Amino acid sequence: MFALFAAEEGGGGGLQFPPISNLVEWPNYFGDGTIFAFNKIGLISMLALLIPTGMFLLSKKELVPRGLQNIVEGAVEFVDKQVIQSAIGPDGRKYMPLLLSIFLFVFFGNIFEVIPTFQMPANARMANPIILALTAWAMFIAVGVKAQGFSGFMKSSLFPPGVPKALYLLVTPIEFLSTFLLRPFGLAVRLFANMLAGHILLVTFGVLCIALWQKSALAIVLPFSFATLVGLTGFEVMVSLIQAFVFSLLTAVYISLSLNPHH
Amino acid sequence: MIASVILAAEEVEAKNPILPELSEMFWGAIAFFSLWALVKFVLLPPVLNVMNEREDRIRGDLDAADAARARQGSAASEVSDQLAGSRAEAAQIVDAARAEAEAERAAIIGAAEAEVASMKADAEAEIAASRAEAMSGIAPSVAEVAADAAGRVMNRQIPLSSAQPVVDRFLSNSN
Repeated sequence: MFALFAAEEGGGGGLQFPPISNLVEWPNYFGDGTIFAFNKIGLISMLALLIPTGMFLLSKKELVPRGLQNIVEGAVEFVDKQVIQSAIGPDGRKYMPLLLSIFLFVFFGNIFEVIPTFQMPANARMANPIILALTAWAMFIAVGVKAQGFSGFMKSSLFPPGVPKALYLLVTPIEFLSTFLLRPFGLAVRLFANMLAGHILLVTFGVLCIALWQKSALAIVLPFSFATLVGLTGFEVMVSLIQAFVFSLLTAVYISLSLNPHH
Repeated sequence: MIASVILAAEEVEAKNPILPELSEMFWGAIAFFSLWALVKFVLLPPVLNVMNEREDRIRGDLDAADAARARQGSAASEVSDQLAGSRAEAAQIVDAARAEAEAERAAIIGAAEAEVASMKADAEAEIAASRAEAMSGIAPSVAEVAADAAGRVMNRQIPLSSAQPVVDRFLSNSN
């Protein structure tokens, strides 16, 4: 919205793209200056909790599913088949609550990108991706320690079999970085960067449409710009789903690697 | 209003927009961990229960259908066997009945032929007796007529005693 206001304000003087901070930072509704400061990102996070909760609670539990129950069971079945069974196998069912929560939280955090009046994905801010990535990180370490013991997990993580012993001097630090630092960092940055890029893309075409609307000579290209904006909005819906799938799938893969290090 | 919004935005502009806000992490953590707990203890179990129940029901129905199909197959085979046995038995009964009827027909025809032959023999005997009786009855009259006719032709009296053997021989030859 800041971007649109900025474009509107600058309408008389040519196209002015707002600074990046205007696209992602939001004023607080309350709690200024405290850890409880609540802004649009906090609101979307809460909605990402309340919407799936409401959907699950309101869906009927009948043998022949209809309406909302189809959507809820579809989500559960999707996570079960496409995430758990494909990455972990039948043993992974016990991680269903975590992986389903990640999938739903990421998806509903993302989808507000295309919902009017919000038009901001919560995951285009680094806070939620970090929380989710740290949870996944703690989970796969805990699963690995529980499955293999602390020394077994550290050995399988830092000393991959089949490598000449002399090379461990080089390989072990790389494995440490890769497993314990880059995995959570990669999870968080992948989600954050994808959603931020999509958000900037939509804002760019939104600003462009407004600027073209005000320029009579260039208004002829407005339909193309607007069509692109509509197309990108649909694309962002798909990206929201894909990012939720990728995040939960990678978490499942990391858990699977902790359970079965040699697979 | 627009100016105040932009002013508010400028106030936060000094911060690095990529770095996470602690307050956003706080609310995000509360939301995510609440969702995780709710999914684990409240939301997911009933959904999984109904999905498992449906899967069990479908599996049970499929098993029942398979069992019914197997029962149907064995019943069909049993019916087929019974049908084949019945057909064989029916053919046997028909053959026996046909043989019996044939024998009865032959017996009836034999009896009828015997009866006809007996009746024929009786009739022939009766005819022969009647004929003999008729011949013996007409022979004197014929001899008398013949002697009278011969006497008229010859103009003399022909005795009946001489005509009688000739008439008897004639009648016996004419049989």
